[in-house]
Amino acid sequence: MEAAVLEAAVFDAVSSVCDPEYPDVTIAELGILESVSMADNGSVVRIELVPTMLGCPALDVIRRDVAAAAQSACVGAKARIEVVFVADPVWTPDRIAPSAVAFMAREYSVAVRSALTDATCPICGNAALEHRSDFGPTPCRSVEWCPNCRNPIEVVGRVDIAVSA
Amino acid sequence: MRSWDSMDDFEAFLDDGGLVEPGDAMPDTYREAVFRFIELHANSEYMGGLTERDWIAKAPGLANKLTALAKTQDEIGHAHLLYMVAADMGIKTRDEMTVDLLAGRTTFHNVFHYRAYTWGDQIAIAYLVDAAALASQQAVFKNCSYGPYKRILRRIIAEEGFHMRNGEELLLKMAKGTSQQHDLMQEGIDRWWWPSVQLFGPDTRPDDVLLRWHIKSERNEVLRDRFVQKMVPQLTAAGFTIPDPDLRQDPDTGRWISGKIDWDALKAAIAGRGPDSERRLRDARNAWDGAAWVRTALDEAAAVPA
Repeated sequence: MEAAVLEAAVFDAVSSVCDPEYPDVTIAELGILESVSMADNGSVVRIELVPTMLGCPALDVIRRDVAAAAQSACVGAKARIEVVFVADPVWTPDRIAPSAVAFMAREYSVAVRSALTDATCPICGNAALEHRSDFGPTPCRSVEWCPNCRNPIEVVGRVDIAVSA
Repeated sequence: MRSWDSMDDFEAFLDDGGLVEPGDAMPDTYREAVFRFIELHANSEYMGGLTERDWIAKAPGLANKLTALAKTQDEIGHAHLLYMVAADMGIKTRDEMTVDLLAGRTTFHNVFHYRAYTWGDQIAIAYLVDAAALASQQAVFKNCSYGPYKRILRRIIAEEGFHMRNGEELLLKMAKGTSQQHDLMQEGIDRWWWPSVQLFGPDTRPDDVLLRWHIKSERNEVLRDRFVQKMVPQLTAAGFTIPDPDLRQDPDTGRWISGKIDWDALKAAIAGRGPDSERRLRDARNAWDGAAWVRTALDEAAAVPA
């Protein structure tokens, strides 16, 4: 298989790998997938991933799922697959695709706070959420409370990167 | 704020798939039933988190320790969200719920009244108990009539699915391992099979309000049966046996039929007379007392003007 074709096929396959903790949101939509490229004269398919957090406990599962998806796209090709987590660029909530932000709000009641936009309640739209805990069930989400609709809201994006007034 | 003229109107609203929100004028009996159910769930997540915590240090290898750490974070986080929703219902404050739990006045699931001695036990818990808990939670989520609870369940289910997958991987690893690993795993299954089956509870009574008010969507016996049908072939295929000498297969339907289930064991465990109840509650009290200075520090920090 030609390198560019293989590269595109692997990119397609790994793009649809879902995040273990959001089973219907892909790693591409979350901004975890950084690049797919051929290395070592076409003998290696290198997949670069950006971890949402270095200490994320799901990294190993994501690595295995990505490797398996890449493998299935490489059937018949001789290339070896290499999946690496890179430290540069650094993942930020800005990398989440708008479609995924909307999906996470609708399906999981999870809000996103990025440098571009502050979090609003995914249920009622209230912008004045009350902070309750820096960490929720996962270390990448804080726990807040919506005093308007009285629901606990989990927010992706740490408080310390909140938009400054 | 919505209100209903009669219980019949309210139940018709629930039967139509209506979601009750915190500001609604819901019947007191409904509020009480939902609150008790969420409090039990929260207590169980909290006690489960403390159990999982023990394995952060004991789990073999870094990967398993990280998993234990993540699961502990999950369970405690779930408890936190559930306690927030329960406290908002205006029946008890979060502190009152904690005090009642630690004093043994409220309950938590039977499976957290048993002791996990070995790594085999811990995998059996991840495989059997997590699967049983997930099946129950999925059934509650499917038809849950209380909005804030349903929204939390959506996320809990996604995360618990991740735990179950981990349990399956670990069990298969033990199945393919040395005879010593196989035996350790079998002992774990032997200890945790019955508590997991009992977790679903005795057959649901015909007049159960939890079903009528769409807090539960399926009868206990249906969920329990589905669990047995799924687990028996999986465990058998992996080379393990089920510690139920009377387990048999219906020759016509091929369905597995359990032997007699010891419901007294379930009642005793939930009442705090399980094999490990005392130690579990003592650990929980120690955790609460040991963290008193953190709560004080947070309160004092919050009281200082910015």
